[in-house]
Amino acid sequence: MSISTPVGTVAVDTASVLQIDDLHVAFGGNQVLQGIDLQFVPGFNGLIGPNGAGKTTVFNVVSGYVRRNEGTIRLQGEDLSGLSRTQRVKAGIGRTFQSPRLILDATVMENTLLGRHHLFRWGHFAELLFWPPQIREETEARRICMSMLDRFGLAEVAHEEAGALSLGSQKLVEVARALVADPTVVLLDEPAAGLGADDVTVLLRGLREIVAESDLCVVIIEHDLQLVTSLCPKISVLHFGEIISEGSPEHVTTDPVVIEAYLGHGFEAEEGGEIHEVESPLSEHHHIDHVEEEGDLTEVWTEDDDPEQEELS
Amino acid sequence: MTEVSASSHPLYPVQGAGLARYRSQLTTLGVFVFLGLLPWLPILGWTDIFDSGNNFGRGNLAFVFAWATAGVGFNLLVGYSGTLGLAVAGLFAIGAYGTAILSAPSGLREALVGYDWPFFVALPVVCVAAAIIGVAIGFPAARLKGFFLAIATLALGELIVKIISLDDKVWSGLKTNGGTGKQVPQFAIPGLDRVLSYYVLSLGALFVVMVAYTVLTNRRMGRTLKAVRDIDIATGPIGISSTYYKLVAFGLSAFSAALGGAMWAQNTSFAQPATFKTGMLVFLLVVLIAGGVSHKWGPLIGALFFVFMRQHLQDTRKLLFLILGISLILSILILPSGIAALPERLRDSRWVKDLQRRLQMLTDFSS
Repeated sequence: MSISTPVGTVAVDTASVLQIDDLHVAFGGNQVLQGIDLQFVPGFNGLIGPNGAGKTTVFNVVSGYVRRNEGTIRLQGEDLSGLSRTQRVKAGIGRTFQSPRLILDATVMENTLLGRHHLFRWGHFAELLFWPPQIREETEARRICMSMLDRFGLAEVAHEEAGALSLGSQKLVEVARALVADPTVVLLDEPAAGLGADDVTVLLRGLREIVAESDLCVVIIEHDLQLVTSLCPKISVLHFGEIISEGSPEHVTTDPVVIEAYLGHGFEAEEGGEIHEVESPLSEHHHIDHVEEEGDLTEVWTEDDDPEQEELS
Repeated sequence: MTEVSASSHPLYPVQGAGLARYRSQLTTLGVFVFLGLLPWLPILGWTDIFDSGNNFGRGNLAFVFAWATAGVGFNLLVGYSGTLGLAVAGLFAIGAYGTAILSAPSGLREALVGYDWPFFVALPVVCVAAAIIGVAIGFPAARLKGFFLAIATLALGELIVKIISLDDKVWSGLKTNGGTGKQVPQFAIPGLDRVLSYYVLSLGALFVVMVAYTVLTNRRMGRTLKAVRDIDIATGPIGISSTYYKLVAFGLSAFSAALGGAMWAQNTSFAQPATFKTGMLVFLLVVLIAGGVSHKWGPLIGALFFVFMRQHLQDTRKLLFLILGISLILSILILPSGIAALPERLRDSRWVKDLQRRLQMLTDFSS
């Protein structure tokens, strides 16, 4: 399939729901994204990369927080540029944030209902007059929200204040809120960070159920590689604003470029995915020194030093 | 994906059975019926509390209702949408002057010349006009936050008062009679005396505003405004335009401020630009903050507190400001959620729970 744009005919991958072509983003002189191409298909898509790679920036551009300098973003063939954040939600883009953004003194149900805000047909005046269709609409929305909360094991606490929940449950509420909006694509920014093992199980079960029942496209940014590789058939790796590797979990985790991006020079993958350090003159490189100083290999990419995430994470 | 499965969980919070379900509504109705009958219950001497020797207790209660009416909208703006818009004194002035000018007879005296509209036509027109002006003030202000928003709206509110006071020198088209002040033609309900008529009118205005705003804040509007307050920048990806809802809050607060102002003017029968300066804003802040931000009864309780203080300290105006200032600071320090939240605070406090436990032990011991 191909569609015509002012700059010519562009081939569109019919399987991909969200297609990003040649995306450039710069904050001042800092090139954050340097011409990336991404295709997200129905099902789970992983987006990984070390800190500061530009993963959250991709989400921010898609959801309309950050202006792109160049490139196109198409949702089912339709160009999203020029749409406001709320218009993008109506078009079918949903997202969550790294730290949950909930109304802490409102109930879990009310927080979830916010996700359906743009689907309400009746306005606030009808609400004031207790207009019966408006009340039916509200009840229907509550029913949908309740069944979604039920999937994530939150139905019991639906009428409790969100502030009383643990961080893990709050993140689950946020995921539920993004999903009740009937999105085509949902962008989950580190949904499992800070969650206990039980919450992660509930989250994954809920997401798997929904993906199995619909052709929802889920894009996940996640630092827990095991989670991403077990969930996503296709993973894209972002490093310094460029896609350095793309493909199946096996391909990505054994790709030398990816290993270098995460751990620095001097590491390679064995048969079966085990990564070890190789003796080489390159291990004198400062990347390795840094790793040794930290003591813990994982420390290198779990610390949060992404400057642009401060505001919007 | 949004397939609806039959769920055993209640969709709305469980509120008890029978009449207990409507407890909140019945309380509101009870309070207003009581306040409505108050002037006819002289034996109890309720209105005397607001009387400082000039036999104006009912009139002062009418002031309470006027202040509370403005406070309800201010509460919606500050407490729910979290937008510190301080143009409320100017909008209060629009209500006072607007009804005065529109309903005044087209006579000759400059202090009372107007357009001769019936009062009940002028009142909604003025309130809707004020709501539109409120939205217009909100437009530049909605891009600002915190102190910057407060200062910008404060200046725009002052601008309204300035336009009123300079009208006779510049244009005279508004018939505000400039800084000298405008007489307000008073609307009397047939069969009631003057003061009683304002009392009923102000109470009615408060009832309408309070019921409408409570209905709205308990439903989708309330949670959306709270989202604008608490998640502000993240409301976009939920599908809520925070600018739109800030403007809605500005409009609704302006509507009630103008209604309160109109009621206030009915009671004073005279409006002067100097009255609507920053001092009035401080009074409204006392009503809001001492009463209780984002609490349903906050504005009414705050207005009761404020008018009571003003009535008993009116001879020493400096002392009034001093005490109001101190009470504002104290309420922010000690009671950030206001007097209205005092029962809840007491119920949840360790001190009271301890006392209850001791009393329980005592009764157990004696029996």
